[in-house]
Amino acid sequence: MLHVENLTASIGDKPILNGLSLDVGAGEVHAIMGPNGSGKSTFAHALAGRDGYEISGVATLDGADLLEMEPEDRAAAGIFMGFQYPVEIPGVNNMYFLRTAVNSVRRARGEDEISAREFLKVAQEAMELVEMKQDFLNRSVNAGFSGGEKKRNEILQMAMMQPKLAVLDETDSGLDIDALRVVASGVNSLRGPERSIIVITHYQRLLDYIKPDFVHVLVEGKIVESGDHTLALHLEEKGYADFLGDPDAELSGASA
Amino acid sequence: MTVATLPSQAAALDQVGSLQLPTKRDEAWRYAPHKSLANLTFGQASMPSAVPGDVDAQIPQLDGPRLVLVNGVVDDERSDLSSVPAGVSFVGLSDVPAANAALLDQTHGSADDAFSIINRAYGSGGALVQVDGQHADVLHIVDVLVPGAEQNASTSRVVIDVAAGSSVTVVETRIGSGEMFGGSNVRTEITLAENATVEHIILQDLPAAQFHIGRVDVTQAAGSTLNARLFNLGADYGRVAYHVHLTGEGAHADLSGLYFGFGTQTLDQQITVVHEAPNCTSRQSYRGVLDDSSTGIWNGGVDVRPGADGTDSEQSNDNLLLSKQADINTMPRLEILADEVSCQHGATVGQLDETALYYMRSRGIRKEEASKLLINGFADQVMDELDNEVVRAWITKRLGHDHE
Repeated sequence: MLHVENLTASIGDKPILNGLSLDVGAGEVHAIMGPNGSGKSTFAHALAGRDGYEISGVATLDGADLLEMEPEDRAAAGIFMGFQYPVEIPGVNNMYFLRTAVNSVRRARGEDEISAREFLKVAQEAMELVEMKQDFLNRSVNAGFSGGEKKRNEILQMAMMQPKLAVLDETDSGLDIDALRVVASGVNSLRGPERSIIVITHYQRLLDYIKPDFVHVLVEGKIVESGDHTLALHLEEKGYADFLGDPDAELSGASA
Repeated sequence: MTVATLPSQAAALDQVGSLQLPTKRDEAWRYAPHKSLANLTFGQASMPSAVPGDVDAQIPQLDGPRLVLVNGVVDDERSDLSSVPAGVSFVGLSDVPAANAALLDQTHGSADDAFSIINRAYGSGGALVQVDGQHADVLHIVDVLVPGAEQNASTSRVVIDVAAGSSVTVVETRIGSGEMFGGSNVRTEITLAENATVEHIILQDLPAAQFHIGRVDVTQAAGSTLNARLFNLGADYGRVAYHVHLTGEGAHADLSGLYFGFGTQTLDQQITVVHEAPNCTSRQSYRGVLDDSSTGIWNGGVDVRPGADGTDSEQSNDNLLLSKQADINTMPRLEILADEVSCQHGATVGQLDETALYYMRSRGIRKEEASKLLINGFADQVMDELDNEVVRAWITKRLGHDHE
């Protein structure tokens, strides 16, 4: 489904991704772990289409070249990114935002717009999934939301958008254990044979709830190790020191 | 006319021949188009032979009584005063009985700029609203400018007098006709007795070739409340100045507004709230959106006079610039001569939030639509202060962001 080959990304002279390659098949869940600054979020934004990076390499979704597309076209193609820091948009009603998003993608795919009734039904189901109250839809997008509410709103949007590939960037950050459980069960219920998920996380904790098929270690903009979920357990125990080329890091790790 | 020339009007008429128009050096007129202002030609109010264009299509269709002024003269055909509620008098100035003439002769402090003097000199036409009792009804005053070849500018007065404990909502829609240069000069004078409440809404939407010079003078007695809402949208130069005097203890003035400029528009808001009595509160909250090479001016002042202890005031002015050529001049002013005073002010100027745009685009929303949503979201926060659905719908449509 997703094919990434030798992807590089830099801002100005500063390289962030240094030849990242990854293949994600339909229905698979991949976890990408790595220390701070390793390029995890940049990888997510490179797939979603954020401006400001110099990008080269290959990234395709079902054969379609993502790197040539605007962010909205990538969404229409089936990419959904869950933001680490969901953006507050005061004055824009959450329900109106969601409906505009769903209909924009439908229009881009040549489908009919969703009816108001159908939309409410789907929204209702999605809200139950993330245990959100009705008034959630009437508030401005993320404005004044708690950290947990913002992340639940991301999963709500994912449920509404029904993407082919969801890239969840540190969806666990800032969540207490209850919110983590809600978010994880939301993600799990959206797993399916036609939907792939990339979970980007710093900690193994999230992977107790969302069991990945593959785990990759990202260091200095490259995948340096891939394995099954036991790799995450190894990282939890030993940290990233084994994978860092910097001898100082290994020393401080040993003395700690 | 039943009203003889007022003493203040006679005095103003003596002055109009030798008026000095404002210059760049007048702080309150600094960004006005001085040269073009001199091309406005004022005179006694007179009805044009025909009113081009469809007035109804340009204004909100509010339930309730409506008085239409064309070049300051009451247009009986377009007005409908059949539903004026008991306790309310809503008439054209020419129908004001002589006994009430004193109401029209008030000066509300020193209104000594040239356009105020012109307004008093030629402002024989307009509307008088007197309110006794609490009224949910909305009174609609429509001011239509039809520039003529000989006289391209119009003058009207609106006088609103609200008795103790009474309340009313007045909407003033100000429009113009045609593509000819001209300007309307409208002055509103509002007097609130003790514990009276007024909601006063101005919808300024003159054509792009014309000027609007508006001034609102308010005098508030103890415990009274003013809610003033300005939507300054039209005209090449669109100006509204508020002068609010809180003269009785515990009076409250809440002023907010939106200006939304395109093309080469200059939209000018000049606000002064004077705290003259103890424990009064005031709030000024204005938002501006400026596109193309439009210019916005927000000059908001709070004067706290000696003895106005316990004053509590807030001012905010937030602006969104949509183009590199757009310009905003924001000037909060404070003068405090009393004790135990709390005055807060803040101003912001920003562009469209790139991160928010990206976020919306990542949800499949096209860039243009995402921009529109963000702009509307910014502007809607002013609209939230409006209860009247018809007025809200009119503004929404006018701004071209009808959601459904």
